[in-house]
Amino acid sequence: MTTTTTATVTPPAETAPAGPRASWAAVLALAGFEARRLLTRLPVLLAFAVYIGWTVWRTRTSYEGFPALQDADRATQTAPLLVGLAVLLSVNQAVLRARRYDTERHFAVLVLPPWRRTVAHLLSLVPAVLLVAVCVGGQFGWEALKPGALGNGSPGELLAGPLSVLLLGTLGVLLARLFASAFAAPLLLVVLLFFSLFAAMPREGDATRWLMPVVGDYSIRTLPSELLGRPAAWHALYLAGLALSVALAAVLVSGEGAGARSGSGSGMGRVLRGRFVGNRGVHAGLAGAVALTLLGAVMQTGGVPAETEKARTRYSTAPQELQKCVERDGTTYCAFPEWTSRTDDWAEVVDRVKSLAGDAVQDRSLVVRQRVEARYGLTSDAAMDPLTAPNQVSVGTMWGGNRVPEFAVAVAGVLVTGKEAVAGTLCDGRLVTVMWLALAGGSDPLSDLRDIRVDDSTSGSAVVVSQTEPLSMTAAHTELVRELLDRPREEIGAKVTAHWDELTTPEVTTDRTAQLLGLDAPEEADECQE
Amino acid sequence: MPGVSGDTSGAAGAWRALVRPVVRTLPWRAIGVAGGLGLLFAAAPRLLGEDATGRLALNALRMSALAFALGAAFLLDDPARHTTAAVPTRRAVRHTLRLAPVVPVAALGWTVALLLVPAGVRPPVGGVTLEAAAALALALAGAAFAVRRSDSTRPGQAVAGALFTTAVPASLLWPERWALFVAPDDERWAAAHDRWTVLLCAALAVWAVCGAEPVRRRIGGGLGSRS
Repeated sequence: MTTTTTATVTPPAETAPAGPRASWAAVLALAGFEARRLLTRLPVLLAFAVYIGWTVWRTRTSYEGFPALQDADRATQTAPLLVGLAVLLSVNQAVLRARRYDTERHFAVLVLPPWRRTVAHLLSLVPAVLLVAVCVGGQFGWEALKPGALGNGSPGELLAGPLSVLLLGTLGVLLARLFASAFAAPLLLVVLLFFSLFAAMPREGDATRWLMPVVGDYSIRTLPSELLGRPAAWHALYLAGLALSVALAAVLVSGEGAGARSGSGSGMGRVLRGRFVGNRGVHAGLAGAVALTLLGAVMQTGGVPAETEKARTRYSTAPQELQKCVERDGTTYCAFPEWTSRTDDWAEVVDRVKSLAGDAVQDRSLVVRQRVEARYGLTSDAAMDPLTAPNQVSVGTMWGGNRVPEFAVAVAGVLVTGKEAVAGTLCDGRLVTVMWLALAGGSDPLSDLRDIRVDDSTSGSAVVVSQTEPLSMTAAHTELVRELLDRPREEIGAKVTAHWDELTTPEVTTDRTAQLLGLDAPEEADECQE
Repeated sequence: MPGVSGDTSGAAGAWRALVRPVVRTLPWRAIGVAGGLGLLFAAAPRLLGEDATGRLALNALRMSALAFALGAAFLLDDPARHTTAAVPTRRAVRHTLRLAPVVPVAALGWTVALLLVPAGVRPPVGGVTLEAAAALALALAGAAFAVRRSDSTRPGQAVAGALFTTAVPASLLWPERWALFVAPDDERWAAAHDRWTVLLCAALAVWAVCGAEPVRRRIGGGLGSRS
């Protein structure tokens, strides 16, 4: 009986007596209702709360207040996946709702054929996706408005988050149209999670990893934006195409038969129920969307382009060709084009260190050169070789937090030893002077000392982190540096200036340094680690 | 007293009479698909061969446990629920009867899952099994809670969804102070598994408490109200 009713009341859409306009108005009305419901489902609300809460919590202190926007755009991608999972689940439940409460046959007498109801469910995803887009924009905007922000974001990277939510949502609709059972969606979620887990294993040059919605390259250091070599735009195209394909496939499989058979028992396991929709537009759209997806999928697997590789080598080996240099108070600062606004922050540290040494170093003209090791890609942790030219200091691409005292140590090392390459192998009394110069000017020298030491200690021997070669402090050095930091800055500064020549000769021992600076000889061991 | 002994034999008879129909109405398909998926996950480290690490095997087993738990979330889905509400056998008994046939299946499935992971990378069996049992118990507790608090005949999807949407953020954002998701070589492994034990006991307690039919049911209230 149900079937008869369906056949007479809802003829194929093309000849619907109600006229296409009334029908689309009904679709929009249904979409609006479903969108409201979707946004107020508990999982979606919860996911949004966790997503927004976590994002706000993290963005407050992210990048130590000095974000590079080419990293910040990528950081917006992973968290929306949580919303996507909740949307998938909820939209799937919404599409199956009529079947769950056995109201499918009531819908069958309405003007809307099942495929238009599917369209309405797909449209109901739009507000959720837009909300995610707003959140992503907000997160990125916040980073961009931080005073220390620099670099360039990429629209392709920013789109990945909202598009993944759209993709997951359309998957939920398609799944509901393919499998009427309620356990399909949660199980699909686990499968997706499982695959993301395995795809998360970083394998450079593996093209298939770009098939995942979000491809995170968790770089330890920031690269200039033109060296990233990520096919962000193609990936966004791939995601958009895939979401569109899945959406149109969901419309395609919700033919007349899909709705009318609600009475068929529990309905589980009917793999492909319903007939296909005969609408030409849907077929053509699906073909176009699949073509887009394939185009994006193929183009994004190209790997790092040759010119990017060339540029990476150029940036790594000959930075001076690309940099702009400015001179300030006798020091030259050479930065990559995207980093010129950071010169002030570097100058502050250099001036602080120089002022501690006083007149002894006032006429030394340093060159602060920004450097980056980009040849090994985004995820490598390759250290830079120290500079061998005299009076040159390396500075990396990141700033804020521990990078500041690290840079201060590099500056002090060059001031004391003359060359960065020498400072890296330091194991005599000069190291005490270097560390005092680097740390004493800071607001909290002891915590800076802890931060730059690998084991976060303030006593005993330890390795000091650096952008180039790490330094190693003996227990005696640490003891002296701590004693120096406890004393008034001016008193020690005067002694350093007075004995500068003797303190900076390579022959000076730790005991002699202590004597010159007015301290007792250190009690702890003075053995360098090799 | 004859009345009492008659009652008990009657109860035993009722149990015996109930077993077959209850087993028939269990959502075997959901349990089967979820179990199959769980076994597939557990087989992944073996399929990867040399690349498999202990960390990966542990994650695979945790995913496997999650799949099993999601299947178990459908255990109390019973379209005939409202027709059986009036039978003299208490709901706690009916729930136990539904659970009883699934436990050996789950135990068997989990044993196979553990054996599928190569011995070289297999995490400590006891600890992982405890985690899996806790996940399963949480799913069951959720299902029992949903049944008690709502009129829904099929709360499974909502429970599975809730379990999943809690598990994923929890594994990412769970505070370090009460770490649950730790690796075996972590020094907090033992402490974490004390917490898992607490979780398991709490879930079982919820299952037991929610097994009772409420004296009075609020109309239209609670979870899964008609949507």
